[in-house]
Amino acid sequence: MSLTSRERILAAAKANKPEELPLPTVPDFGGEATVERFTTVLTGIGGTVVRMGGLQELGETLQQLFPEARNVASPLFRGTVPVNRETPTGILAEIDLAVLPGEIGVAENGCVWLPEANMLHRALPTITQHLALVLDQRQIVATMHQAYAQLPHTGGYGKFVAGPSKTADIEQSLVIGAHGARSLVVVLY
Amino acid sequence: MSHAIRADKFLLDADRTTWHDETLWFVREKRDRAVYAVPEFQELRELASGIKNHTLSRLDLYLQEFEAAAKANGVHVHWAADAAEHNAIILDITRKAGATRIVKSKSMLTEECHLNPFLIQHGIEVVDTDLGERIIQFRDEPPSHIVLPAIHLKKEDVGDTFHTHLGTDKGENDPQRLTEAARQHLRAKFLAGEVAISGVNFAIAETGAVVVCTNEGNADLGVNLARVHIAAMGIEKIIPRLSDLGVFTRLLARSATGQPVTTYTSHFAKPAPGKEMHIVIVDNGRTQQLGRPDFRASLKCIRCGACMNTCPVYRRSGGHSYDFTVPGPIGAILSPNIDMKKHSSLPFASTLCGSCTDVCPVKIDIHTQLYKWRQVLGEANEIPASKKWGMKFMGRVLASTRVYGLGGQFARKALRLLPHGLTHAPSMNAWAVARELPEAPKQSFREWYAKQPAPAAPSKTSA
Ligand code: SF4
Repeated sequence: MSLTSRERILAAAKANKPEELPLPTVPDFGGEATVERFTTVLTGIGGTVVRMGGLQELGETLQQLFPEARNVASPLFRGTVPVNRETPTGILAEIDLAVLPGEIGVAENGCVWLPEANMLHRALPTITQHLALVLDQRQIVATMHQAYAQLPHTGGYGKFVAGPSKTADIEQSLVIGAHGARSLVVVLY
Repeated sequence: MSHAIRADKFLLDADRTTWHDETLWFVREKRDRAVYAVPEFQELRELASGIKNHTLSRLDLYLQEFEAAAKANGVHVHWAADAAEHNAIILDITRKAGATRIVKSKSMLTEECHLNPFLIQHGIEVVDTDLGERIIQFRDEPPSHIVLPAIHLKKEDVGDTFHTHLGTDKGENDPQRLTEAARQHLRAKFLAGEVAISGVNFAIAETGAVVVCTNEGNADLGVNLARVHIAAMGIEKIIPRLSDLGVFTRLLARSATGQPVTTYTSHFAKPAPGKEMHIVIVDNGRTQQLGRPDFRASLKCIRCGACMNTCPVYRRSGGHSYDFTVPGPIGAILSPNIDMKKHSSLPFASTLCGSCTDVCPVKIDIHTQLYKWRQVLGEANEIPASKKWGMKFMGRVLASTRVYGLGGQFARKALRLLPHGLTHAPSMNAWAVARELPEAPKQSFREWYAKQPAPAAPSKTSA
């Protein structure tokens, strides 16, 4: 808050830091960028992977996966609830299913990069009861190094999502569905 | 009160101690499996260590780079020299926002600064939203582990707590149903939250963004529903580039819980339109630690908790026995920096087996630092008298062959002759409280050796 604390901290950091050491270069370790690996890992952490022939099959695929979803929000088609940045919390809280486009999938850990521009509202991916991420399978990379290499910057807000919200805080028993989405399906095409 | 005395309390319930030990070992084994699945894991540790060493060697510059980038993103940046200033800044932001309700996601820093009691004192409602944190908040206890805050509790304990505070059925112990009750309770809090506080796992100098890693999604939900986001970070959370995150995100969750990555790895750079974002950069003793060459490596810690899960002392003494925000091996290095007198027993709460150092993803030489703290404490006269005189005495004995020989003879006799009640008197021999002494041999190795025929000289041809 005060200018003095800032100056004091910076001066102390400067005075107490060790001699300068080099910044290592992070190599690209290669690795397996396959749909199979991505699927195995994501399934192992509680997510589901579904494959479809092309985007035109999305409606039908979702119909089969979520026959009961009533309040659906998506930028990919006209959902039942229009959502934008100004949508009030009360309406967001009623959403059963959000269908959002993912940008990059990472095979080694099953996560999908979801930038702000694809979310409609920043809270939507976590407040929705169920989340479906639609991903072009050619966008799967092997590791986090390759994923970050493809991101020039992360925008105002963005996140990697790996599976449904979960917790193991009660006696280390894994429970799916803590605060965020209770399930995660990645729809690959 | 020393670590050993507090550990004694935990050890009173032998079954629980065994269960605690096994539960954490289970996490350690999951970590091993996750680690073996990554061929370049050791290289990643080396890189992580190198990146952190480099960052510490330019810390003032990176902090300024980070500040400039964050400001350019429209974020308010605050600096706090200590806990009191950190708390005052957060209260001030909250008041200016006209808010009385805060939702908080997990942050060891706010715990270190005792933020919750401070805010509550000033009439602000603070709700911890991480499930484990919420459980211990209900019970008015501090976390006993940095990643698994309620690891010391059994599901029955949580059931009782939720029965009292959330009205779940008496005797309801099912983790699934208890979590569902917490989900409903906390959703209401999220929807009503005005200010959201989060911790920071990584702060990227290049982009000014802070990265928060959770499995529950509570940080994302809290921050994105509230009007104001306050991120509290220690100065050591800085990393230079976005690309460095590739290294740390591959190490963190695997080391912590054996997961390939946390469910949510969220990058917060700019406030949403019409909202506010604040970052509070906190020192609270860190620059001092930076100035201690023997201990500065402790600032590389990414708070994965792996050293705790593997530590034979932590597993059997429980996190609360450390009486410090960060328990376990890393806490035992960090705590004397804050208060050498109060935490003087912690560097001794270790077998120096080195297991912590073996698992540390950023290659902190934890057990070496524990050993070094013991020497610093010895010089500063902060070692308990019994230990100090015992060490002095043993030092004399070991320094003289004659005294050592006589002592050995005496001990072998005494152990055979003295009554059990005396050799095991807790006041005289704390070591034997839970152990049997070995049976004393009749002769020493030296005596035995002297009676052996001289070995034949080795022949040249067999060499
Ligand atoms: S010291 Fe190493 S192992 Fe322990 S919490 Fe920190 S990073 Fe993890």
